[in-house]
Amino acid sequence: MIEELIISGRNNPEIDPHLHIWGWEIPLYLFIGGLVAGILFFSTLYTILGKQDKYVTAVKWLPLSTPVLIGIGLLALLFDLSHVLYFWQLFTNIRWESPMSWGAWTLLVMTPLSALWAVSWFPDIFPKFEFKYEWLKSGLKWVISIRIYLAWSLIVLSVILGIYTGILLSAFNARPFWNTAIMGPLFLTSGLSAGAAATILFSKDHVEKLNFAKIDLGLIAIELFLIIHLFMGHLAGTQVHIDAAKLFLGGPYTTSFWIFVVMLGLIIPAFLEALELKKYKIPSFISAILVIVGGLILRFIVVDAGQASRWLY
Amino acid sequence: MKVKKYMNPYLAGVLLGLVLLMSFFFTGRGLGASGAVKSVVVASVDTIAPKHAESSEYYSKYSEEGESPLKSWLVFQVIGVMVGGFLSGAMSRRLTWKVEHSPKITSQRRLIFAAIGGLLFGFGSQLGRGCTSGAALTGMAVLSLSGFVTMMAIFGTAFAFAYFVRKNWI
Repeated sequence: MIEELIISGRNNPEIDPHLHIWGWEIPLYLFIGGLVAGILFFSTLYTILGKQDKYVTAVKWLPLSTPVLIGIGLLALLFDLSHVLYFWQLFTNIRWESPMSWGAWTLLVMTPLSALWAVSWFPDIFPKFEFKYEWLKSGLKWVISIRIYLAWSLIVLSVILGIYTGILLSAFNARPFWNTAIMGPLFLTSGLSAGAAATILFSKDHVEKLNFAKIDLGLIAIELFLIIHLFMGHLAGTQVHIDAAKLFLGGPYTTSFWIFVVMLGLIIPAFLEALELKKYKIPSFISAILVIVGGLILRFIVVDAGQASRWLY
Repeated sequence: MKVKKYMNPYLAGVLLGLVLLMSFFFTGRGLGASGAVKSVVVASVDTIAPKHAESSEYYSKYSEEGESPLKSWLVFQVIGVMVGGFLSGAMSRRLTWKVEHSPKITSQRRLIFAAIGGLLFGFGSQLGRGCTSGAALTGMAVLSLSGFVTMMAIFGTAFAFAYFVRKNWI
């Protein structure tokens, strides 16, 4: 327990000396944002590459979940607002300097596009399904005809969304732990990894599973590299950044971060996936669940630790 | 793909001893198992019935203010044991859902007896302040008298009572 006596005129409950603003809502929202970005990235990527019939789960099935997931994420975000009923004001402003504004607008564009994207695969995955009304039928035909344009816009948007989940934190200069350019790429990689893991979890096709295990392995390697760089950057920074890094290097977040995120969320699943690629028989859902849960814990720890790190001592 | 054979038990025993040595060397703590279960129980009671945990002489010892009882060396060691066991099984191509039992009894009987045995061992380990790993193995390694007594009591009792339940195995 950290006890301190503040001798100053500052009295700013919930902000000073520790930020206590963000609970479970923001990390959940950031995780879901990353997961949606990952799912849509692979779905659109393989459509653009013309492999939509090879990786059916990733391309056609998983996007069905994205409008729902975005909905849950936005609900979590709404819970976090102090004035829930004023949420629409986000959409009466465009503020280029605000990551919140970027996220709100990206999601506003993405939600309908992801729904159209999911619907465009209906005839493929539900062959017996047919819309009742003519205008819906012709609408579906039109959506299918513009699918490739949808794919290109969604792949760009999904990368923006994935990076945005990290930038939302790193743009917040007042908290030294978040204030690093690594956050964007780290959260993007983690989101893509969660998307690949989701495919492994739900796919019934062995070839698809192995392909995504390979992808996930690469993403985990990148993520580990980024995590090492995150700490290198902080440790080479000013004293506040060094103190922020020390929250994880002997401080209160050490065990939870290195055991649950790095070991159980990255290294162990990577090892299992590597064994699987070497034709060992391993239930693939285990590594997939470890990756997804590890990604969720990562968001929680980073959001929490960022609020605990500070400039003033 | 052939399943790998189990390791020679004598060799495995020596290796286990070396694990214990390394544990002392790196962490300054011995190995244990029942302590981790106890931490989980204390944490659960603490969450569900905090008043009871506070007033009980047994629980209150382990749930200090501000520190989660789960933040203990043994809890993390047991997580490591599970992960390591899983990896070892995976690498020996031995991962399947199964209940190991004598061919003469059913899985159900095996599970029921395992549960009864586990319950008794849980009580025993708390009365004796430690189980085979924490009290006997680790205790004997540091030449604690209670370690030797625990070891003799556990294996002596098992030897004495084996006759009555032998039908479950042979």
